[in-house]
Amino acid sequence: MTEMLKAETEDQVLDTIKWAAAEKKPLEVRGTGSKSMLGRPTELDHVLDLSALSGVSFYEPAELVVSAGPATPVAEVEALLNDHNQQMAFEPPDLGPLLGNPVGGGTLGGLLACNLAGPRRIKAGSARDHFLGFTAVSGRGEMFKSGGRVVKNVTGFDLSKLMAGSYGTLAAMTEVTVKVLPAPEKTRTVLVNWAKDGIYDHDGTKAMTEALASPHEVSGAAHLPAAVARRSAVDYVAGGGRAVTAIRVEGPEPSVAHRCEALRTLLAPLGETEELHTENSQTLWREIRDAIYLAADQERHIWRLSVPPTEGSRVALQILEGRPGEALYDWGGGLIWLTLGVAPDACANVVRQHVAAVGGHAMLVRAPEDVRDRVSVFEPQEGPLDEITRRIKDGFDPSRILNPGRMHKES
Amino acid sequence: MSAQVIADPVELEEDLLEELRAVVGDRLSTSAAVREHHGHGEGFPGVFPPGAVVFAHSTEEVSEIVKICAVRKVPIVPFGTGTSLEGHVAALRGGVCIDLTQMDKVLNVNAEDLDVTLQPGVRRKQLNEYLRDTGLFFPIDPGADASIGGMTATRASGTNAVRYGTMRENVLSLTVVLPDGRIIRTSRRARKSAAGYDLTRLYVGSEGTLGVITEITLRLYGIPEAISAAVASFPDLESAVNTVILTIQSGVPIARVELLDDIQMDALNKYSGLDYPVQPTLFFEFHGTEAGVREQTETVEGIAGEFGSADFQWTAHAEERNKLWQARHDAYLACKALRPGATVYATDVCVPISRLAECIMETRKDIDETGVLAPIVGHVGDGNFHLSPIFDPNDPEEARRVDELNERLVLRALAMDGTCSGEHGVGLHKMDFLIAEHGDAISVMRTLKMSLDPDNIMNPGKVIRV
Ligand SMILES: Cc1cc2nc3c(=O)[nH]c(=O)nc-3n(C[C@H](O)[C@H](O)[C@@H](O)COP(=O)(O)OP(=O)(O)OC[C@H]3O[C@@H](n4cnc5c(N)ncnc54)[C@H](O)[C@@H]3O)c2cc1C
Ligand SMILES: Cc1cc2nc3c(=O)[nH]c(=O)nc-3n(C[C@H](O)[C@H](O)[C@H](O)COP(=O)(O)OP(=O)(O)OC[C@H]3O[C@@H](n4cnc5c(N)ncnc54)[C@H](O)[C@@H]3O)c2cc1C
Repeated sequence: MTEMLKAETEDQVLDTIKWAAAEKKPLEVRGTGSKSMLGRPTELDHVLDLSALSGVSFYEPAELVVSAGPATPVAEVEALLNDHNQQMAFEPPDLGPLLGNPVGGGTLGGLLACNLAGPRRIKAGSARDHFLGFTAVSGRGEMFKSGGRVVKNVTGFDLSKLMAGSYGTLAAMTEVTVKVLPAPEKTRTVLVNWAKDGIYDHDGTKAMTEALASPHEVSGAAHLPAAVARRSAVDYVAGGGRAVTAIRVEGPEPSVAHRCEALRTLLAPLGETEELHTENSQTLWREIRDAIYLAADQERHIWRLSVPPTEGSRVALQILEGRPGEALYDWGGGLIWLTLGVAPDACANVVRQHVAAVGGHAMLVRAPEDVRDRVSVFEPQEGPLDEITRRIKDGFDPSRILNPGRMHKES
Repeated sequence: MSAQVIADPVELEEDLLEELRAVVGDRLSTSAAVREHHGHGEGFPGVFPPGAVVFAHSTEEVSEIVKICAVRKVPIVPFGTGTSLEGHVAALRGGVCIDLTQMDKVLNVNAEDLDVTLQPGVRRKQLNEYLRDTGLFFPIDPGADASIGGMTATRASGTNAVRYGTMRENVLSLTVVLPDGRIIRTSRRARKSAAGYDLTRLYVGSEGTLGVITEITLRLYGIPEAISAAVASFPDLESAVNTVILTIQSGVPIARVELLDDIQMDALNKYSGLDYPVQPTLFFEFHGTEAGVREQTETVEGIAGEFGSADFQWTAHAEERNKLWQARHDAYLACKALRPGATVYATDVCVPISRLAECIMETRKDIDETGVLAPIVGHVGDGNFHLSPIFDPNDPEEARRVDELNERLVLRALAMDGTCSGEHGVGLHKMDFLIAEHGDAISVMRTLKMSLDPDNIMNPGKVIRV
């Protein structure tokens, strides 16, 4: 039986963690609490429910920052920013549907704890790059505040960066502050439509690399193989039944039009080009951001591969050789969402072997619990790296009460 | 700056030195001149020499050196070029200084993936010279020609931070020798680290207190198709600052925007032989495509005009631009030249952009009332600015006034949700401000330090007291 411990205030978070630390009771730290969470499955008797710590506590558009409770829905923050033509530039994804959950369920705290970012990461950086400060309670039951509202500081160890991507294993955040930026006025996307049949993953990589090396300030570079492109809601993308490479530019109208034109000229020798305007562009990049094309088939396992961009298509095609599955490329080829047919080990050895050969890493994003229990969900760490990770965990959470086993199997 | 500094150097035993010599041969020095050179940084009085200085040539050597010291719990201070401003390299407990300047090779430029891997002793100007023919560049440019290792360790930034970020955003991966001598690589070649805690960012800004950085992979950028620079002078300081604020809030992707007050302009004119109006002035730089740069320049010219600047002048001429930025980078030397024999101390607060005008105006009033000679310069696009009080360190009365001015400045910035250090770091001198700013987080940082360096041998006495 799982017991929910719902904290209504920051002080209750503190009390709960103090209690848990004293009693050595492990806690699952939860934002809005979807059961099937990312990472290794953990079966804990107690859930620290932070859902009451919700709502924007500070937002001055002129200051270009927003502070909010950790359980504030990302959608709520985005709606507020949108009213002032601002945005979180790292383009927070909503991976709910991909993981079989409803749209719009994610929280700001969860987003930062998982360090998620969308297609604009190649230009604007990841969640952690926009994460300015936070208040949290460590596993020692100590409340602390780090960073603040300034975009630049060098005051000791960078705890915000350590929290980003720690999956709630170091401290429970009770307030977070992120940087916001003016939203671009216009968006255009250059599409390269490849020929009807055949595999164009390598060509797509080449087009993305060329576009990214150009001076046109590309803010999104993705490649959709034909089977994937067919599922887009944007006609221009789905209609042709072809593989499509998409390159995005954003900014004020004249400059966007100019850069779009220049990119079309640059890419024309590779294939037939087309352009999408703001609204269609927004639809397309939302789809790519959320890897929505891969959501429909909930059976297959999903891996998320991080590789050097120029190696992306080679790695993906090697893994897919003789295996049912498909790939979606983002970040100029550096991020690959890969689906694979069901296998007891989710093909972990094959995937990790190919990825390791190019210095990349792989994370198992979607798979049934028993598979995620058997297979290392995150790239396994060895030797001194693993030891440092444990020492950091011990520093923050010596009794191992915050999401133990969520990232790596407890020994 | 005035905190009581207690030095307590350990004796280095002869057999330790012998063991070190077995690793580095004659690249070990115990001469007073070499030790003293390594025992102080820039701009702060006092020398705390290490017991010995070794000049390392490889990661493996550093690893051996650290192992030898770790066994005996002998302190270690990594050393880049010694331009840090807060007493970072002072060897408070003596020990062994590892000088990394001879590890100065660029190992691998990866033009397609826009990254470079290099040794820590490579200097920023050397790197850009090396990159010249590749069409790429590295944007972070602290005023000094610092080592990339030191810049990583201090999380340095410079005039380009608004557009390109600081070392924090531009270090992709590190090789680090841990306090027990083992070697780790913090992340793999692929950009996105999903493998565990973000060790790369933990070591960026660790000021030598968690290990020795022996290899760095940095992100590079394509040299923009077009670059233009501009200079505009303003009737008063507030108008200049408001121009910056509105520019940032409008989302103009400006590459550089630097504020110099009238005193600083006077100093620059004299030092660099220029003839700009002696008025509050902004230096700008715009990067992008031809069309983009034109558009940005026009937008900013419009904003500057609204705030009363009548002489917005821009140039796309590389030589003129270089002259402008060299002058900006020489601001510190120009201050020194204003009063020969005096010391220049650089303050370093940073506030949210919306509070910048208020903070600078109050500070300027404070300077005038204090009667200290203290020009203002700043990377104002991110809310960061420096006073450079020019004073006689042997005049205790004047030194005290400077100290108090700085203390009021820091408290003013903290009250505005700012920070005591935008880019220079904590080192020895800002530890007390760090406590004022971070309170409880200090204990978390201390725990972290103790988890990773249980014997406190890495640059002891810096950042946090153990
Ligand atoms: C590979 C991958 C898989 C994903 N799987 C799922 C999934 O199965 N279900 C789902 O709903 N979303 C999933 N997400 C989406 C992601 O978690 C959401 O987009 C994000 O917004 C989470 O919000 P949440 O409120 O659901 O957080 P939660 O799912 O409650 O938490 C996400 C992580 O953040 C930590 N966390 C949350 N709040 C805090 C806090 N205040 N302080 C410290 N740590 C905190 C949690 O402990 C957990 O490790 C996944 C994302 C990725 C990249
Ligand atoms: C005129 C002038 C202008 C300046 N302008 C700026 C500016 O605009 N922006 C800015 O950010 N700073 C500025 N600085 C400060 C200084 O240049 C930076 O802090 C710089 O990053 C220091 O680099 P360094 O190589 O001199 O390091 P050092 O001074 O040698 O060392 C600095 C710290 O880093 C540690 N360290 C050095 N190398 C390593 C390594 N390989 N591994 C682990 N630890 C290491 C040292 O132990 C020490 O704690 C300026 C300084 C001067 C004198």
